[in-house]
Amino acid sequence: MEELEKLKKELKDLNAEYAKIKEIPAEKRGAFGRELNAKKMALLDKIMKAEEAQYDMTVEPLDVTAPCAPNEKLPELYSVEQGSRHPLMVELDRVTSIYQMMGFDVMESRQLDDEYHMFDSLNFAKEHPARDGYDTFRTEEGYIPPAHTSTMQNRVLKAYKKKLDETGLISVVVPGRVYRNEDVDATHEHTFYQCEGVYVSESCTMGQMLGILREFFEKYYEQKLNIRTQPGYFPFTEPSLEFMIEKPKSLGGKKGDFLEMLGCGMIHPNVLKMAGIDPEKYHGFAWGGGIDRLVMLRYGLKDVRHFESGNLNFLRNFK
Amino acid sequence: MKISLNWIKKYVKIPVSDEELIRLIGARLVEVEGVIDESHKYDNIYVVKVVSAEKIPDTHLTLCQINVGADELVQVVCGAPNVREGMLAAWIAPGAVVPASVHEDQPFVIGKRKMLNKYDSNGMLAGADELDFGDDHSGIVEIDPEMAEPGDLLKDVFELDDKILEIENKSLTHRPDTFGIIGFSREVAGILGESFDYEYQDTTLKPGKELSVKIADADICGRYTAIVLEKHGEIDKKYLSMVDVLLSKSGMKPISPIVDVTNYLMLLTGQPLHAFDYDKFVKVGKSAKPEITVRLAKKGEKLELLDDTKVDLIESDIVICSGDTPVALAGAMGGKSTMIDENTRSIIIESATFSLYNLRKTQMAHGIFSEAITRFTKGQPSYQCLKVAEAAAEMLAGGYRVALVADTEKKSEKPISVEVNIDEINGLLGTDYSEKEIVKTLENVGFEIEGKNGNLKVKSPLWRTDIHIKEDVIEEVGRLNGYDNIAPVLPLHQTAEKNASLSLKARIRDILSSFGANEVLTYSFVSAHLVEKAGLDPKESYRIVNSISPELQLIRQAIVPSLLDKAYVNQKLPVDKFAIFEMNKVYQKSLGLDSEGVPVEKMHLALVIAERKNAGTAYYQAKYYLERLLEALNIEVSFEGKLDTCPVSRPFEKKRSASVIVNGETIGVVGEFKNSVRRAFKLGDYLAGFELDFDKLIEYARPTREIDTSLVVDKRDLTVETDKTYREVIEKVEEILAKHEVKAEITPLAIYQPETIKHISIHLEFKEKIDDTLMQELEKI
Repeated sequence: MEELEKLKKELKDLNAEYAKIKEIPAEKRGAFGRELNAKKMALLDKIMKAEEAQYDMTVEPLDVTAPCAPNEKLPELYSVEQGSRHPLMVELDRVTSIYQMMGFDVMESRQLDDEYHMFDSLNFAKEHPARDGYDTFRTEEGYIPPAHTSTMQNRVLKAYKKKLDETGLISVVVPGRVYRNEDVDATHEHTFYQCEGVYVSESCTMGQMLGILREFFEKYYEQKLNIRTQPGYFPFTEPSLEFMIEKPKSLGGKKGDFLEMLGCGMIHPNVLKMAGIDPEKYHGFAWGGGIDRLVMLRYGLKDVRHFESGNLNFLRNFK
Repeated sequence: MKISLNWIKKYVKIPVSDEELIRLIGARLVEVEGVIDESHKYDNIYVVKVVSAEKIPDTHLTLCQINVGADELVQVVCGAPNVREGMLAAWIAPGAVVPASVHEDQPFVIGKRKMLNKYDSNGMLAGADELDFGDDHSGIVEIDPEMAEPGDLLKDVFELDDKILEIENKSLTHRPDTFGIIGFSREVAGILGESFDYEYQDTTLKPGKELSVKIADADICGRYTAIVLEKHGEIDKKYLSMVDVLLSKSGMKPISPIVDVTNYLMLLTGQPLHAFDYDKFVKVGKSAKPEITVRLAKKGEKLELLDDTKVDLIESDIVICSGDTPVALAGAMGGKSTMIDENTRSIIIESATFSLYNLRKTQMAHGIFSEAITRFTKGQPSYQCLKVAEAAAEMLAGGYRVALVADTEKKSEKPISVEVNIDEINGLLGTDYSEKEIVKTLENVGFEIEGKNGNLKVKSPLWRTDIHIKEDVIEEVGRLNGYDNIAPVLPLHQTAEKNASLSLKARIRDILSSFGANEVLTYSFVSAHLVEKAGLDPKESYRIVNSISPELQLIRQAIVPSLLDKAYVNQKLPVDKFAIFEMNKVYQKSLGLDSEGVPVEKMHLALVIAERKNAGTAYYQAKYYLERLLEALNIEVSFEGKLDTCPVSRPFEKKRSASVIVNGETIGVVGEFKNSVRRAFKLGDYLAGFELDFDKLIEYARPTREIDTSLVVDKRDLTVETDKTYREVIEKVEEILAKHEVKAEITPLAIYQPETIKHISIHLEFKEKIDDTLMQELEKI
């Protein structure tokens, strides 16, 4: 209370200062005026906060241990009918459960990472134009909200190196939220979800990679699928490919209607080396693809912007 | 990048259909984003001879009789100044579509017209722009009588029945050689299993010392070749040429004979060229002969480019200088001061390589995305610089002769040899290709192979700057033979352990949705305004320097502010009552870095309840949701009316909120929000929520609990008049029960407060018979 009175008095005094401007030499008036204005803005801000605080002080305390307020009914849960689960999260669970049944451990991806994990450890040459393809955001300190779940590859390889030595196998998937600095429209979001896969053994082959990916998509869409590939380029895999499936019949797909699902390839020896794994002894493959698209395809959704809209008219359709 | 199939077919015999070829290119070389079918774009367009051309008095029009290859002449009115008797022209017959308009919504169909009310005009004599060969609208195109006869279809003469591939450049980032038709065609031969017959011939030009080229730093420019071409006559640019057609199909435009030659050769070979005006170059440098210097730009230097933009050079820009004055932004764009024009006499043709790293920065800093810089930023090899400059000289020989040649080479690519065993190749791919098949695959695209008994020494050709390790060679074998020919096999494994965090999230998702709550996802990025509205300190957030908008500038410290924002959105819809929740990650600067040197990451669960038509106390609704959730997770909880000062607590009103205590530890906060926060978010009175540390839930949640199935044998209701808190009353009750060694299930019934005295009623269920003395003692509380 007193604090507020004091601030109001200060404001009154400050307003009086403005009268002095006439006595100031013309060339200094600008600076004088700016200084006064800055002080006034700061003071007004303090007064606003003090007023808010005073408003907050009028609040009645309550017994936080009680089940309800006096003379009010006991609370009840809302009807189960109005509840909903987010479709992206439900599908992400399905995706990881399928991989888990196929023998993959699951590790969640970070949402703020550094240049080393996002690029360096993935065999991107310093300042290489390939880094531009990822449209990354950066913080003042140079941290990166990752543009792909591959940002976790080096961590996965390091974390499972011991298991590799013991059992001869790393098989991990990494779901997570990723970010790209791009304009948002019905098919593009700056925030979306991906799932990464990492597999390392002494004898793994590209044929196994294609087998695992086909198996996953057949389980996910609950039907047999035709697959197709296309050469791609990623600095962290060699060879690199794009993996496609023929659009499932159950989703209105026609013959020859192929959809790009993810990028994949045999892990580049430098990536293994950087995680302390001997690329002469072990080989690996890895893949990463978007979850949003899978879900849109599955539910016939047309606008990716719904996912992060928080709009209940949309979300309550997903029980 | 646009690639004409007909152009490829000049270099490779294609034994398959276009459809199959396009499929194979997609499967074995690069993503084909689209195919522009031009098979019918030039239908019903003929080469014709203008037999007579009579000026129509007082107009710019000419009445022409043309020979279209039929017995009778056709009359057409033409407005072009260059129409004349005897010339061969291109005639768009009545009913045909003007090619430049085929991709428009309503293609323009030429008909039969009456001009000036009396002259019948059938079809039209076409200009280059109407035929979609650039923008030239100054006259009609003239066709070389050596190439065609009246009545020939234009598309047969110029190979216009074509398909244009639109190529996704990104997946060829590492393959500069494929940014020229020759390199692309070599790949096409390779994926068809054919050898590529085109032989690269080295140059016959002999560089001299008269032309000075200085390269300041080998790292910015590996090789710089230049040829001075002296003018000895005019290049006759009278006829429509294949160069015009190929430039247009590739998405470029014919401009002038010199520029067209440099562009054409770039499309063909992947090596960009630039032409300077010799006299202007010398004048800028104030020297008798050109002194070419390649160096980094200096701070404060400026340059006016060909397109009239003036750029402030940055220190990583590479510049071409005449003497020491910058005249071109290397690899990106020429400068205005040395630009060729209609008065140009001699020219300097530049053919060089520049550092892709510097050019990438130039591209970003000045926003230049030309065909040339697109190629340079892939890292063009230097082996063909002089050869391509020579090819330009040959194409311009009609008007220019070679006067001086310079070639300064600071760095050149050496062929790389990689040793690989065929078992390693088959082992990594999961294939069983024979040594013979592997050798042929690689030789088809220019690799030289030595080796025996399965051990191969693979020497890469000069244009393959991407081959360094054996995996690069394995890729070639897999790709050129088709990854789709690799049989998918499924290694079998045991199922893996579930991930604790994801499993718990799934469980919470199920529980809360069954409680009628709605799961939402909101952005990790928030505005400073949102953070302040919720009473948090924006300085505690990591700040994005290149955010899309101020709305998405900070990384969030807590989930509740985002939910309050969405609560407003949903109240406006309107939705009368809802509980929205989210499980996601947050970052607070004060938490510092983890052992990997990256910011500490926290997973939170938050929920916000809002109702529009409820005069009750929202706190208890939020608390009830929390209690029921924790009960379902088998976590015992208590509430304490004292909040800590962490960012998560800051939106909450401390007099109407509680710390959530589990096992003596605070795991979060539940409560109503400060009036100032509610006002800032434009939300009503009935508003409350909670935010919890998700990792603590993982720690304390239990999958099951013991269930006591024995029967309830006694039930009592108890009402006490008190000024104590509910918990104090319950603790007192439990104390008395413990004294009597009796256990009871206690549930609240009501709290009634007619005036000042509070009446708390609870219900007790006992698994044993109790005597009345216990109840009497309880009633005395």
